[in-house]
Amino acid sequence: MLPYLNLFRLAIPVPAITILIGISVGLSLAERFAPRYKINPDLLYNLVFNALIGGIIGARLFYVLLYPQAFIESPASLISLNFGLFDLWGGILSALLVGIVYGQRKQFDLLLTLDALTPAFAVFSAALGIANLASGKAYGVPTDLPWAVPLWNGMRHPTQAYHAILAFLILWMLWPTRHEKTIPGSLFLHFVGLSSLAVLFIEAFRDNSIATISTLRDVQLAAWLVLAGALWGISRLGAENQNTTPNP
Amino acid sequence: MQLLTPKNIRLPGLIVLAASGLWIALSASLPGTSASLSLPAPQAGFIAPDFTLTSLDGDSYTLSELRGKPILVNLWASWCGPCRQEMPAMQALYEEFHPEGFEILAVNAANQDNIPAAAAFVEELGLSFPILLDLDGEVSRMYQLRALPSSFFINPDGSIAEVVIGGPMAEALLRTRIEKLIARLP
Repeated sequence: MLPYLNLFRLAIPVPAITILIGISVGLSLAERFAPRYKINPDLLYNLVFNALIGGIIGARLFYVLLYPQAFIESPASLISLNFGLFDLWGGILSALLVGIVYGQRKQFDLLLTLDALTPAFAVFSAALGIANLASGKAYGVPTDLPWAVPLWNGMRHPTQAYHAILAFLILWMLWPTRHEKTIPGSLFLHFVGLSSLAVLFIEAFRDNSIATISTLRDVQLAAWLVLAGALWGISRLGAENQNTTPNP
Repeated sequence: MQLLTPKNIRLPGLIVLAASGLWIALSASLPGTSASLSLPAPQAGFIAPDFTLTSLDGDSYTLSELRGKPILVNLWASWCGPCRQEMPAMQALYEEFHPEGFEILAVNAANQDNIPAAAAFVEELGLSFPILLDLDGEVSRMYQLRALPSSFFINPDGSIAEVVIGGPMAEALLRTRIEKLIARLP
């Protein structure tokens, strides 16, 4: 665990830096993928950049809407850099909306764009696992396995490392398909399905997992539904769209 | 990897869904669906590590004796700029929410601070919440202090609700977190 790197009197937040590196590397990969999907790499970069900015602004606005009184009492907090004053789901929704609007204005094909961005999603997912490893969040249950890591008063499953390893494995599995003919949207849906499987597997070793229905873990149930949706989507994509992406 | 197509997805898809459903059912019996609340650790979901420290005024405070109250444990030092910047907001909200049971324990990392400088700062700002002195750095070690300030919002049941590393915390952040803690009062 290395939540902060102390250099002189500077405390550098390792998880945040890891996420930023993940976004940067992921975007570089996506830019390399873009021409194959007949997408201008610069426009793809702009799409992601606009979505990120929209997401950040939206996350703060949603938080303000959720807790208006706190900002009426302290208007200066509106421009605070505190991560805790952002609403995650509001940010995701805003980023999606901005991305969709920008994509429509620039006449992006949604499915091809998602395929082109799939390597970026995979690298970002791996970066998230490494960031959690650095911060000590998303920790595993205690175990006496040889690869257990010391964390939070015990030896635990390194679930964050499992996450990162599986994310890289998914990227490695999907990487060769860049040379194959694929149905538009198929690559993205395979990524979603495989990632859901990974989450479903790892969650079994997570500590502090929320279980609403008996001892069935909420995250696993949600991942199963997403997996089913991805599989259904692949079958529907095939039924509706027989066009394939051309060979590079 | 060969991607699935509409022609070959049905059987593998059903097998994957069935196998993953089985895994969900099997893993339901594994531990981990309840927090390790009995363990003390400086992370959300765990019991806040207990400590007893003496304040600048010479009074003794034990964290566990405040069980039943929402608490903010704030680790700080007088030379730390963000620590100094967030103190006025902490003082204002302490005055507002202390009548409802809210407590602040401001633990000065005295092993890496100058106590007269810390005392002068407390007097300058008129801080009325307890300023505790971590003379030997034991609390800093227990709370795995890596950056100043570090703040631990503690539920009335003694578990850590949230950890905020770094600062300064905005007043809105403090207010929303304190209101959440107070809402959990029985």
